[in-house]
Amino acid sequence: MFQDRRIGLWLLAPATLFVVVGFLVPVIILLSGAFRTDGGWSLGNYLDFFGSSLNREVFWRTFRLGLTVTLVSAILGYGVAMAVVDKGPKTKGRLIAMLVLPLMISPVARTYAWLVILGRTGFINVGLENLGIIERPLRILFTETAVFIGLIQLFFPLMVLPLISALENMPRDVVPAARVLGANWLTVFWKVILPLTKEGLVVGGTLVFVGSLTAYVTPAILGGSKVLMLETLLYQRVSVANDYASAAVIGVILIAMSVLTNILLKKLASVRKA
Amino acid sequence: MILRTALALAALAGPALSQDRTLTISVYGIAQDAYREALYAPFEAQCGCKLVIESGNSVERLAKLEANAASPVVDVIAFSDANALEAAAKGLIAPLDPARLTNLSNIYDFARDPVGDAMAVGYTFYGTSIVYRSDEVTVNSWLDLFSDDLAGYVALPNIATTQGPITLMMLQKALGKDDPTFADAIDLVAEHKDDVVTFYERGSQIPQLLQQEEILAAVVGRFGWANIAKLGLPVAWAQPKEGQTGGMNVLSMVKGTKDPELAQEFIDFWLSAEVQQKLADGLVDSPVNTQVSVEGATADALTYGEEMAAQIHFLPAAQQLEHREDWLSQWNAKVAQ
Repeated sequence: MFQDRRIGLWLLAPATLFVVVGFLVPVIILLSGAFRTDGGWSLGNYLDFFGSSLNREVFWRTFRLGLTVTLVSAILGYGVAMAVVDKGPKTKGRLIAMLVLPLMISPVARTYAWLVILGRTGFINVGLENLGIIERPLRILFTETAVFIGLIQLFFPLMVLPLISALENMPRDVVPAARVLGANWLTVFWKVILPLTKEGLVVGGTLVFVGSLTAYVTPAILGGSKVLMLETLLYQRVSVANDYASAAVIGVILIAMSVLTNILLKKLASVRKA
Repeated sequence: MILRTALALAALAGPALSQDRTLTISVYGIAQDAYREALYAPFEAQCGCKLVIESGNSVERLAKLEANAASPVVDVIAFSDANALEAAAKGLIAPLDPARLTNLSNIYDFARDPVGDAMAVGYTFYGTSIVYRSDEVTVNSWLDLFSDDLAGYVALPNIATTQGPITLMMLQKALGKDDPTFADAIDLVAEHKDDVVTFYERGSQIPQLLQQEEILAAVVGRFGWANIAKLGLPVAWAQPKEGQTGGMNVLSMVKGTKDPELAQEFIDFWLSAEVQQKLADGLVDSPVNTQVSVEGATADALTYGEEMAAQIHFLPAAQQLEHREDWLSQWNAKVAQ
C-alpha cells in the first residue's frame, strides 16, 4: 500500500511541477502586488478599493448579476437536464452536442449572432412587430437584459452537464417511490431530486458564477459598456492606466468571490444532508 | 591604438560575426505575413542577420519590457506614442541618433520626434473621424454626434479604447474649451448617454451596426474605413470643421540593446520609402514617408496625403499620461453608471 502511494506521488509530480511553475508561481507573483504598498505588505490597497463608493457599487452589481445568472441557469438547467437524462443514448448525445455548441464558437462570433437576433431589425423585434405586439422596435441590445441573455446562453451548458451527470447517478426508482407514497412533484423535487443531485448543482453553480463574474467580451459587446462591472474596471486598470497593482487587487477580489461562493455552496449542500 | 586594433579585428571578424547577428523586435501581432514579405525578409537579406519577432498588443509588450528591464531581450519595439513616453519615463528605451536615421528627413514633421528627446520615431499614423449615413444625416462638427437626428443612432468609442480619449479631445475642442481634463466633453457625453447606442469596445462591430441600421454614425479610425465603405451603403467620412484626430505608432530602441547600430539600421529601413510603399500597397500601414505614392482605392483605404495629415490633431502623449487617470475616474463616475 505504502509502495503504491509512493508511486502515485511520483506519477503526480510532473503535472504538479508544471502547474506550480507554469501557473501558481506566476499568479502569486502577479497577485502579490495587490498586497504591497510603499511601506511594505498591507491590505491598504483593498481598503482604498472598497473606500470608494463607486467601486463598492460595481462590486455589488457584478455580484448580483453573477448570482442571478447562476440562479436562472439552475432553474432552467434542472428542467433541461431532467428532459435529457431519460432519452436514449443517440438522442441524448445529439442534445448534449447542441447544448455545448455555444462553448465551441468564438465569443466574438457568438456575440455577433446576438446582435442579429436582438437588434432593432433583428428577428425578435421584426417578429413582434409583424405580430402587432409592438409598434416600435424595443431596445434590447446594449442593455443589461442583453448581457443577462448572453451570459445565460454562454454558461448554461456548464450548469446542465453536471446536473445531467448527477441525475444519471441518482437511483432510478426513487422518484416513482416518492410519487407512490403520495408526494407531489414539487415535494419530489425538493425532498428527493435536489438532495440527491446537489453535488452537480455545486459544481454547475460554481462554474456559472465564476464564468459570469469574469466574462469580459460578452458584457462589453452586448451591454454597450454603459454600466461598469468589475472585469471592465480591471481591463481599464491594465489597458488604460497600466496600473497592475490595482488590477491585481480586482483580480484577488474576483478569485476570492469565486472561492467563497464554492465554499458557501458546498456548505449549503452539506447542511441539507445533516 | 587599441581602438584601431579592435576596429581592424572587428572588420576581419565582420562577415563571420554577421552570420550570428540577431535582432529581436517586438511588434503588434497584425499582418505578420505582409510584414515578413515587405520588411523582415528584405532586411535580413540586407544585414545578413536574423530577426526574431515577438508580437502582442502595446500594453502587454510594454509590461514585458518593464519586467525584463535588467536584461533586455528585445532590441527594437513598436508601440503607441503614449506607451513610448511611458517607457522613456521609466528608462526603458534609449535615444535614437538622428544621424543614423537617413530617412528621417523624408517623413512627416509630426513623426520625427513625437515623444521628445529622440526617444521614438513614428512609422505609421491614422486619422479618426466620424462615419455617417449621408442619406440620413449630415455631420459637419464633432458636436453633431449629439444632434437630434442622431439621438439613439450613434456609437462612440469606449474610454478604454485608443479612440476613446481622442474623441473626447475633439469634443472638448468643439466646445471651445481648452481644458486637458476633458471635463466639459465628459459632461456632454454623460448628458447624452442614453442617446448613444453603444460605447463600443471593438471597432470591428461598427460595419455590422451600420448595416443593421442600429446606428447611423460612429467615431472610427481610418483603418476601419475600408470595411465600412465596402458595405455598399451611402456612407461618408466626415470632415468636421474642428478637424480630425488620430493616432500614431512609433519605433523605439530598447535601452541596453547589444547592437544599437543594427537596431537603428532596422528602424531606418522601416522608414524607407521602399518599405513604406510596400506596406501601403498592401494596406498594412499608412505611410509616414512623404515619398510614398498611392492612388485610387488604396489611397482611400489609408490615411494618406499631406492634406489629410495636416487636418489631424494628435493627442500629445504627455497629456495622455498625465490625465488618463482623471479621464477614467470622471468617465466611470459620470458616464458608466
